[in-house]
Amino acid sequence: MIITSNLSKKYNSNPVLNIESLDIPKGQSFGLVGNNGAGKTTYFSLLLDLIQPTTGQIKNNNVVVHESEDWKPFTSAFIDESFLIGYLTAEEYFYFIGELRGQNKADVDALVSQFEDFFHGEILGQKKYLRDLSKGNQKKAGIVAALIGNPEVIILDEPFANLDPTTQIRLKGIIKDLAEKQGVTILVSSHDLLHVTDVCERIVVLEKGEIVKDLATNTATLKELEAHFAGRETV
Amino acid sequence: MIKRFLSLEWKQFTRASYFQKGIAIKILLILGALYFGGIAIFMGGISFFAFKKAFPEIDPIISINNYMIYWFLFLMLLRYFMQQLPVMNVKPLMVIPIKKDTVIHFLLGKTALSFFNFLSLFLFLPLTVVLLVKGYPIINVLCWFTALLMLTLCTNYLNFLINKSNTWFYIIAPLLIGLIALEYFQVFAISKPLGVAFNSLYNHAYLIAIPALLLYVLYRINFSFIKKGFYLDDTVSKKIKEVNATDLSWMNRFGDIAPFLKNDVKLILRNARPKQVLMMSFLFLFYGLIFYTQDTYRDMPAFLAFASMFVTGGFLMSFGQLVPSWDSEYYKLLMSQNIPYRKYLESKWYLMVVAVSISFVLSTPYLYFGWKIFAMIAAGALFNVGLNSFLTLFGGALNRVPIELNVKAKAFSNTNGFNPTQMLIAMPKILGPMILFYIPYKLINFEAGLIALALSGVLGIVFRSYFLNKIEQIYQKGKYKTVAAFGEKAN
Repeated sequence: MIITSNLSKKYNSNPVLNIESLDIPKGQSFGLVGNNGAGKTTYFSLLLDLIQPTTGQIKNNNVVVHESEDWKPFTSAFIDESFLIGYLTAEEYFYFIGELRGQNKADVDALVSQFEDFFHGEILGQKKYLRDLSKGNQKKAGIVAALIGNPEVIILDEPFANLDPTTQIRLKGIIKDLAEKQGVTILVSSHDLLHVTDVCERIVVLEKGEIVKDLATNTATLKELEAHFAGRETV
Repeated sequence: MIKRFLSLEWKQFTRASYFQKGIAIKILLILGALYFGGIAIFMGGISFFAFKKAFPEIDPIISINNYMIYWFLFLMLLRYFMQQLPVMNVKPLMVIPIKKDTVIHFLLGKTALSFFNFLSLFLFLPLTVVLLVKGYPIINVLCWFTALLMLTLCTNYLNFLINKSNTWFYIIAPLLIGLIALEYFQVFAISKPLGVAFNSLYNHAYLIAIPALLLYVLYRINFSFIKKGFYLDDTVSKKIKEVNATDLSWMNRFGDIAPFLKNDVKLILRNARPKQVLMMSFLFLFYGLIFYTQDTYRDMPAFLAFASMFVTGGFLMSFGQLVPSWDSEYYKLLMSQNIPYRKYLESKWYLMVVAVSISFVLSTPYLYFGWKIFAMIAAGALFNVGLNSFLTLFGGALNRVPIELNVKAKAFSNTNGFNPTQMLIAMPKILGPMILFYIPYKLINFEAGLIALALSGVLGIVFRSYFLNKIEQIYQKGKYKTVAAFGEKAN
């Protein structure tokens, strides 16, 4: 589904990302971990054509991302608060995204109603603009908005950060469900190794912009990751 | 400590992306500053002789003092519209051990270095030299000169208050307008006693204490005003108003662009900054009154064409020049969503067209000035819809300053979107209608001028998709730069 080849990004000849090749098949739940500055957000931004690659390309469903905009209808993302429109209420925001993705009000209502648990009564019917919600609640709204319109690729940057424990657990359920039952390719980055190993079938570790590990998740993965980030390899 | 602040300031100045990218424009601005500075020096040098020639029987220093108030009035207006108030990112400084007072003194002190203060210096320094050479008493001239500089600084701090506090604005603006009106309609000439005051300032050197005291008082008011605002209180305990979703589904008839139009309407109604723009553009409607009521302009139809364009173009220009900036807070969302630039631009264009139409309907009372005037307004409206809209969108596309939507004038936020860069882009918008009207008017007649102006608008509408394509290309080319620049928080 997503084929990355010879991709690199440099700022003033400072390399921040360098991925020779990375293939993410359709329906995979893919986790990206790495310390700050490893290039996670850079990779996602390249995937969304928000920054320009220095060399190479990403193909999303055979569309070269920085050459054509045809990837947009089937791709959605929530990276940070700049994906929210602060002066809309949550409902209005969902309807707006819905309209952009060819969904009518009823479609959006039907989808959003599935997430009442996840919202925990703090998003819908609040009579508040998104800008007045807490960071955690903003994130909930943003994540659900990224699910509107049956996207085939969903990109979530640090979805677990700022969420309360209950919501973190519910989010894990949602992500697993999407990848397993609905065949959605889902890309997640996180600093929380436990969550990522729980949710993702495959985990890639980035370090200074390079892929240093590419693991199929199994019972030993968490240990291996912890050892890696503690600075020692497993024996 | 001050030294460190200065280095922070310098870094902020040189590292902002719009500075690095707009170097050509910066150079033009510097040239402009040199030009005006040069003019001021020249004027200062010759003013003594000019006044002597104009009023040969009066001592030039007296006549200069009589007219002095106009200079300060001009300076005040210039500042109000042009001066960018200094901003400093205070939040990170609040928790480190620096005395609040130091920060505020620095902030206020910095404004003393504004170009506008130097304008006064440039004007009065050569004049003072001329006076000294001509043998006027040294003490008087020097005290007078110092007093004028202090008064200049007074306007500096007064402007700060007016710009930052609505209370002060509502006290001072009507007062000034009232006094000017009284003077203009010859009810009471305030300039006479003020002229006397400036002359006493010259005649009695000790009176320098008055401007010094005034300056001190204004500085203290500013100081305490900023000090009061030196808390995050109102951001932390911000009152959240209950809001209701607005149903704008009737706008769905606009088809593809409906989602954007609905969003833009909410953008304007729910955010402080665009609301200000809306109010401002309403005032543009009255622009015609200045020109149509005066006989001098009756014989200068090029100016009338310009005014007619302004009557209906207020919203178009003030909103349109910031077109991608309005969406800067969530620009990344727009760029990664399923949105063609074309629809986005088209929706903004329709919004401007609707605004011009509404302004046009509201301008019907101008019929009072006769059909010719009203026909000019109509032609101006067509020009706005067909050409000005695209010029404005084009100018906007080059503008990458992020906007904080819901931030009203506050002591530490930069509220004036009106800056010289945008003035530069505005030139063709202002000169366009004048030229389009004037050439056929001179060559043929009045009607021909009108037709040319209107026709330019019609042509613009006919070639709409061509223009939109061109602007779309600019957007596409600048996409990455724009995303990056909008990512930087507005100060």
